[in-house]
Amino acid sequence: MLTQEKIEEWLKEVEQRPESAVLILRYITERLRELSTRNEQLLTDNIALQSSQRVEEYKKRIAHLEYQLELLRRQLGGADISQLEAQPPPEEADAFNFLAYQARGRILRMEFLRDSLPKGVETGVFASIQDDLAIEGESARLLIVPSHEELLLFFTSGRVSSLPVIAIPAREATIELNWKQSALPNEARSGEKLACLMPLTSLPLTDQFIQVSRRGCVKKTMTSMAENILSNRFIGKGVIHNADQPFEMMLARNGDRIALVTWEGHVLVLDVDSLSYAAEERIRLEVTDHVVAAFTVRPGSALLALTQNGKILQRELDSLEPAKSPLAKGIPLIPPARLEKGTRLIGAGAVQGSDRCLALHRNGDLSLHAIPDLIAAGVLQTAEGLLALAIVPDPGTGIT
Amino acid sequence: MNLKVGIDFGTSNSGVAVFDGQQVRLLTIEQKGLMPEVVKSILYITRDGRQYIGQDAVELYYQHNINRQRRYIKQWAGEITYTGADMHYVRDVYVYVDELKPGRLLQYLKTALRKGPSSGYEGTQIFDTYYRVGDLVRVYLAELKRRAEEILGEPIRDVTLGRPVKFSESPELDHKAEDTLRQAALAAGFRSVEFEFEPVAAAYYYEQSLSKPENVLIFDFGGGTLDIAIMRLGNPRDRQIYASGGIDIAGSDFDRAIIQKRLLHFFGLGSIGEFPEIQEMIEAIPDWMVLPELSTPQNRNALQKAICAGIAPVQLSALEALIYDDMAFSLYGQVEAAKIALSEQGVTTIMLQGKNIDLWELYSRFQFENDIREEREKIEAVLAETIRVSGLEPGQIDAVVKTGGSSSIPLFTAMLGQIFGVGKIKESSRFSSVVAGLAIRAGKS
Repeated sequence: MLTQEKIEEWLKEVEQRPESAVLILRYITERLRELSTRNEQLLTDNIALQSSQRVEEYKKRIAHLEYQLELLRRQLGGADISQLEAQPPPEEADAFNFLAYQARGRILRMEFLRDSLPKGVETGVFASIQDDLAIEGESARLLIVPSHEELLLFFTSGRVSSLPVIAIPAREATIELNWKQSALPNEARSGEKLACLMPLTSLPLTDQFIQVSRRGCVKKTMTSMAENILSNRFIGKGVIHNADQPFEMMLARNGDRIALVTWEGHVLVLDVDSLSYAAEERIRLEVTDHVVAAFTVRPGSALLALTQNGKILQRELDSLEPAKSPLAKGIPLIPPARLEKGTRLIGAGAVQGSDRCLALHRNGDLSLHAIPDLIAAGVLQTAEGLLALAIVPDPGTGIT
Repeated sequence: MNLKVGIDFGTSNSGVAVFDGQQVRLLTIEQKGLMPEVVKSILYITRDGRQYIGQDAVELYYQHNINRQRRYIKQWAGEITYTGADMHYVRDVYVYVDELKPGRLLQYLKTALRKGPSSGYEGTQIFDTYYRVGDLVRVYLAELKRRAEEILGEPIRDVTLGRPVKFSESPELDHKAEDTLRQAALAAGFRSVEFEFEPVAAAYYYEQSLSKPENVLIFDFGGGTLDIAIMRLGNPRDRQIYASGGIDIAGSDFDRAIIQKRLLHFFGLGSIGEFPEIQEMIEAIPDWMVLPELSTPQNRNALQKAICAGIAPVQLSALEALIYDDMAFSLYGQVEAAKIALSEQGVTTIMLQGKNIDLWELYSRFQFENDIREEREKIEAVLAETIRVSGLEPGQIDAVVKTGGSSSIPLFTAMLGQIFGVGKIKESSRFSSVVAGLAIRAGKS
């Protein structure tokens, strides 16, 4: 604090030693310059506050927190968060949805009540898509989500957008489905494709977005960045080669493990903690190979992979050691002899005993199968081959 | 080779030097200090018995104590006997001891040596071990010896230690103090120990230049004490000590005065109203030893409550940062640097910037001299008294040899010049004259 008394003392110093005047002047000038710079910064902050920029920033942040809260509420089946401690865990949502989607962004939704699936659905074909199943070389894909879920649409350009599942009109499961009956909530722009749909409501409970490319590039991004990602509608491609393209995105906690499964039958398990925040090639693929499935590993689950002819391959996931090296080849699932004969994988997932499997056949049929039955039979019966699969988790283990 | 060193075991600072017959080499025994030839006479003993001296001791003391947990237990300390006309009773006395205390910091070991026996202080219990004064000095000297040997690369056998002209007015206690110091040095591993008066060592160079005996006043003004001696020098075989005196005022007191008078308002002095516990924290700032003890969760809570209540929030946030964010060392360093700068120039600044602290004070020599006026008066009185005891008039003193860091403060140079005449003031090496003299003495013995 600058008091009159202090100024008097400085003047007396100058009276005694006139050469001190120059020093006093220099020190005060330096201090003034420093304070002036700081003042300018404070004024800038003040203007930002007064012009509501800062207020807008805080409003955005609050809106995002509210959004996350809403996601959390949906994740918990619509329970009142403030009452959670007093309530028993909410029951699994009654309705769940089979989604089939293609590269241009068209999505077909079929809604079912878990306890009232139409007869025959449990073990066989229940619907059929009578239309092109491969668009620009990309097969249609499947996803199973509860009705309260929020979806993140991830495009190959790195663009993202979100929408609630119930915003997509539901269709009857018939044998005459086609893409004209589907919804197009966010059409792929010129030069981009819809890479995948990702369930989003577990966002507040997870730590990382994990992106996987067709050629095995993996990149993680902290979910604390979600506010920016969602407001900018962009997360990035997560690839390092131009010829590569994004394939899958998932949410994971730190400490989780993820698995990558390839067309030519290799599987690689990675620790989320070991992943880089920059895109890195983590699996060494042959020129003809690419990733066909990427998923988080549920504890105690087994790997179930399907060949294009419906042959079932199974491995205990717990027995697969996470890769230590930065670029690993993965463990082969298909014997070389079969590989030579043309056996390839079309998809894979982590399954537990009472889960079910949804399969998309080449002829457009959609069929549902109990995993124990499939494992017992060793094969999923198909007339023309398979294109895609998705795992329907048992209600007790939750839909992920 | 029979290596001999001189050790100046000072109240505040110590040093070690060696003389090779041509020149004195001051050993850089304090790598972390601003002046590596000077090590603080501070000892820190940890709960597990490890011993540290100098800057290591101070840093570890801070490291151990800032934000540490405390658990106080009631411990019996002794009893007090009350005796009246018709009554007599004994009462137990308990103290609260922090059982998580990680170590004990000890300073003024030399003062304990000087005043110990007469004041009843003969030693102290440090955790499970009882240390006599001699043990504490031994630990300190042993570490000095170890550091010196590390630098020289060979074992040191003999030492010439400095000693005040009088440890005590009582010849018996004086002899006992010297004997304790000797035994401590021997126990520290020296084979033979010799003593030289510190003022004689300080004026060693000057004495070498004398062609005839002179009456010399040695003004040894260091970091912890001022020692004055009036002697007849010139003939080493016939030195005469007319008088010696001193006072426990020196550099560290000036640092304290600067903080007290100029800087406490940055931490809330005069702005907080009636908050005795916070007032106590502010008043403790000048004492570097007390500051770490303040870093309790209760104090932080009190500070944060006051800040939330809008009571001097800027100043109390600065106080919180000073106590809990390890800013204290920087503050003491800045103050010391400002004091030193004022010996060369009329104005300087004291600055400390960090999280929640923005301290800037333009400080002039005029202000400094005002702030230490009280100390100056005391020093002048001690000087006059020593001259009186010597039986000499100021005019009969042929030379005044000043040494020690604080002796270069212009105020005291001017004071000596006024009393004895400017032409009589001789400046010896500011920080090293005693230890250099002791090294030469050791080398020639």
